[in-house]
Amino acid sequence: MSSVEQGIGPTAGNPSKRSTATPLAARLNTDFPQVIVAVIAVVAFLTVSEWSGSAYWGGIAKLTSLYLVATVFMSILYVDAGQTSFGQGAIFGASAYAVAVVGSLQGYSFAVAAIAGLGAALIGGVLFALPALRVQWFYLGFVTLSASMVFPDVLVYFDSITKGINGIRAPFTSITDKTAIGLSPLTLMIALVTVGALAFQVWLARTRLGRQMKVAASSTVAAQSLGISPSLMRSVAFLVTAFGTGLAGMLYPPTVGFVSPNAFHVDLSVLFFFAIIVGGTNQPLGPVVGLILLYMVPNVFLASFVEYRLLIYGLVALLVMLLMPNGIMGTLEDWRRRRAGGAAGESLRLDRFIAAARSNRIPRIDAPDVIAIEVADVRKAFGSVKAVDGVSITIRRGEIHGLVGANGSGKTSLLNIFSGFSRASAGTVKIAGADVGGMAAHQIALLGIGRTFQTPRILPGLSVWENLEIGLDARNPSAERTIPDDLISELRATFKDRSIETIPHGQRRLLEIMRIVLKEADILLLDEPAAGLSPDERRTFSELLRSLRDDLGKTIVLVEHDLDLVWGTADRVTVLETGRVAASGTPQEVAANPAVSHMFIGGQRA
Amino acid sequence: MRFDEIAIIAVRGIGLGSVYALVAMSFNIVKVSSGILNFAQGNMVVLGGLLAYFLFSMVGGPTQMSWYLFLPLAAIGVGILMTLQGIVILLPMRYSTEDHSWLITTMAFSVIIGAVLLITQGPNALSVRSVFPTFMVAGTHVPAPYLLTFALAVIWCLALSLFRTRTMTGLQISALWQNPEAARAAGLKIRRLQIVAFTISGLIVGSTGFVAAPMITVSADSGFRYVINGFVAVVIGGMGSNIGALIAGPLVGMVGMFAAYRYGAELQGVATLLALIAILLLRPQGLFGSTTARQV
Amino acid sequence: MLEIKKLFSGYGTIPILRDIEFSVKAGEILLIVGENGAGKSTLLRTVAGLIKPTEGTVELNGTNIAGAEPDKIVSRGLRLVLDGHQVFPEISVYDNLRLGASARKSSKAEFDRDVAEMFAVFPILEQKLRARARDLSGGQQQMLALAQAFVVKPSVLLCDEPSTGLAITLMPPIIDFLKKWAASGTAIVIVEQHLEIALGMAARVMLLERGAIRFSGTAPEFKQYIAAPAKEPPGAAKEASGAA
Repeated sequence: MSSVEQGIGPTAGNPSKRSTATPLAARLNTDFPQVIVAVIAVVAFLTVSEWSGSAYWGGIAKLTSLYLVATVFMSILYVDAGQTSFGQGAIFGASAYAVAVVGSLQGYSFAVAAIAGLGAALIGGVLFALPALRVQWFYLGFVTLSASMVFPDVLVYFDSITKGINGIRAPFTSITDKTAIGLSPLTLMIALVTVGALAFQVWLARTRLGRQMKVAASSTVAAQSLGISPSLMRSVAFLVTAFGTGLAGMLYPPTVGFVSPNAFHVDLSVLFFFAIIVGGTNQPLGPVVGLILLYMVPNVFLASFVEYRLLIYGLVALLVMLLMPNGIMGTLEDWRRRRAGGAAGESLRLDRFIAAARSNRIPRIDAPDVIAIEVADVRKAFGSVKAVDGVSITIRRGEIHGLVGANGSGKTSLLNIFSGFSRASAGTVKIAGADVGGMAAHQIALLGIGRTFQTPRILPGLSVWENLEIGLDARNPSAERTIPDDLISELRATFKDRSIETIPHGQRRLLEIMRIVLKEADILLLDEPAAGLSPDERRTFSELLRSLRDDLGKTIVLVEHDLDLVWGTADRVTVLETGRVAASGTPQEVAANPAVSHMFIGGQRA
Repeated sequence: MRFDEIAIIAVRGIGLGSVYALVAMSFNIVKVSSGILNFAQGNMVVLGGLLAYFLFSMVGGPTQMSWYLFLPLAAIGVGILMTLQGIVILLPMRYSTEDHSWLITTMAFSVIIGAVLLITQGPNALSVRSVFPTFMVAGTHVPAPYLLTFALAVIWCLALSLFRTRTMTGLQISALWQNPEAARAAGLKIRRLQIVAFTISGLIVGSTGFVAAPMITVSADSGFRYVINGFVAVVIGGMGSNIGALIAGPLVGMVGMFAAYRYGAELQGVATLLALIAILLLRPQGLFGSTTARQV
Repeated sequence: MLEIKKLFSGYGTIPILRDIEFSVKAGEILLIVGENGAGKSTLLRTVAGLIKPTEGTVELNGTNIAGAEPDKIVSRGLRLVLDGHQVFPEISVYDNLRLGASARKSSKAEFDRDVAEMFAVFPILEQKLRARARDLSGGQQQMLALAQAFVVKPSVLLCDEPSTGLAITLMPPIIDFLKKWAASGTAIVIVEQHLEIALGMAARVMLLERGAIRFSGTAPEFKQYIAAPAKEPPGAAKEASGAA
């Protein structure tokens, strides 16, 4: 029977019902319409202002567009990649200054100057990325803010190159003179860069890299468990952002005709940041709305109230933050989604998924005594606390191995050692025969380990399908494919418009497990997966685990408190107490072992 | 370098650095009670200086008697403003410190205060005359405020220590810092304590701005430097440690002074930035912070 | 004194407690037992206001306090002693006690009286009055944590695993203290893993399993329940279902 018929879609198993599938929830997001609106607005503003002949409005349109590009890229850095970095104004300025110095002072053509500008921006990107590898959140914010603050000072200091306070005139008439269609090459370039930036952000979010950056931003441990190096993601984000900001910065001198240190004050970086927050994170129109409100309104529309410009700016930011924490576009989107309501949609059915996967799988004949994980005399201490005190365990391939013990017995520490989140202070850890002693967690993940966490690591703002797709992204290229492509397509079709926010906890659990199955992980490390599941859900879960073992050949290490679940599912059990193995063997052997009889208190077992 | 040059750098560095130390102390009390790093501290210092200017102009110029009278007024004035700020910022925050809205709301407050300064005073710096005579260090005259700010920093450090150990409110704030969950379970009024922390923070920076007015730049855009340098002092001294702030502030001040003397005023900021990066790389918990320092 | 109805609670989106109902009267000691992960700590924390329930009522002396902030709940007379002998480590024993009492308005005389009572029960606290709490042993810290709760004179006391991390020999004075405290009219709910310690003092027992109440009754009934031959050894269910 093909997977499509047996299927996991809404009408699984009953072809006649297919046409009456439950209607999907409201459109997940309005990214594409927003980008269209933004693009049209920008292009219209740029072209109309230029055709009108007004130098003032032409200048405003161009400058606002350049700021928009910088804001969009900052959004990629801050929202998508989670880096609190306030360096964009400085990078923008570095690029602008490089262009002005090389082009105007040294006399090179704009093309050459532009390359210098991009180069300066990338150097800036590297410099700002370095602290991000060590510190995050407000430390990173203050360091980058501080760097942005000294940037004008540095420009003034090197006045032999930059002409200091006086600034540099940079007319670049070659690209500011109008061409046949009444638009200058500059305007065309700005339009191109701005449209490109808006499209890029939305495109990036849908690529593997974009998703991986979001995972790294959302949870460092989830990222590592999926083979993603958070440091690498951060570095890439900084470089991509620097490049984009550099593209905008290099078009600044021809636009304004002049660069001076004061133009790249730290206020610029703060403006970009506020624009993102006020406009609404995760919304393509957010930066547009934010800049209109925080830049154009005070500087253009209310220009006669120039004294109050700053006050309006600050008050708007404060009020929006207090009243609409999701920003303007964010609040509109919330409102739209709430109004549209939406059906609950199809539940994740892991059992059918496994069954469908099984039907396509060529059974692999495994030697039953192959070792999946082997730890010998492993120790781990935190200060004076011995979390793991000489533990030796062998996990055989294709078995379900329960790991139980009280809080503080060391089972989570041990799991962390298996998956590389914790380095053992002594002893050896071997996965599939290979010593993983010095390996980082994200490297171990690529050996075929899949891990779930006590709190399911779900990415908000992504669809259910995208949350699963993260598992696909993490597949090791050389791993054997057990999940057929048409099954994956069906999953995508069913869940791509399903918002993650509404799915209940039990489903999130299943999603995390489906994700690592899609990752083609051979060894599943499950950290208290039954927490929060109802008794019925636990029964189903137990069947699921056995099915993963029997049908897909997975090895499962199950850290759990629910002894019934463990005893009903596991092939072998290890009991940990104060960091040592208290008992190990088959469930029956352990239950009969007097050393651990105190674990089983009262009550009948269902 | 000659001895008198070293002496000048040291004295001025300590004096200016004491302003940073005081900003750091005002950071500390709010940070340990609510996890918020109040970005508006810098402008609050400037506000203290502005209040000095206004209060003195009401009596026709600074005098020693009016100085003693107006100092607590300035402190209270900024204290009230900070209390209001605290209430506004804490309002939308649920207890969980995962709410990061404060980063933006404190920055917005900073911008608003700067804007008000700009509107009322224009962009130029105000000058406030010192009421006390200069004092001699190694043969050169040093304006009194440089010594006064240091004295103020020491006094506040002692006062905060007494507050922490001798008053019930101070004890409760300290408890909140040491074990937030136990503090909640014990029934301490967390929100009230957090707001009190804002008030005290305001008293600190208000008095700082007033005392330091003759030596700082009282203008709409100078707040940034004080908050950034205050933050550097917090990081170097160790989050939550006022002794650390007392030592780190002058250190930052002296580093900046030295850089300005040797390489020019433009590099003052670069020097402190490098100091910040160095500490974060070498000893991120700061001189007196603990590696297990709890973040409320 | 304390009546819980249809209580549902959890962490974030993770549901832990389902449909919990029970009550405790003045002077009564209710013991809650269950395996790790059964939801015992979650239950106490929810009642004390540290976690907001998603559904249900918590009636304290007739008033529903479900979802209220802990400081309101303490001022109404319910106090939780957290697990892990948690105190304020950097300050003295005396100041710890003062902090405990500060949650409720009381006169100095009352405070001194209450503290004197504590010294009678836990003399070591008086000896170490000026010592920093972190210099005390685990057992002493547990005594301090209980004393901190005592001086706020709650009408309902919740106590989360007081024996964890302590040698068994340290428990008798604590058990006696709790019994006397209940006898004076306080309702006490105590979570304990070590049955031998706890069964001696409790009037009633409640067994939590996977977030729901599995058994509720008197202590003698509970003893019978866990000794019952109908109890299946673990693994029997697996054999019965025939899984490989």
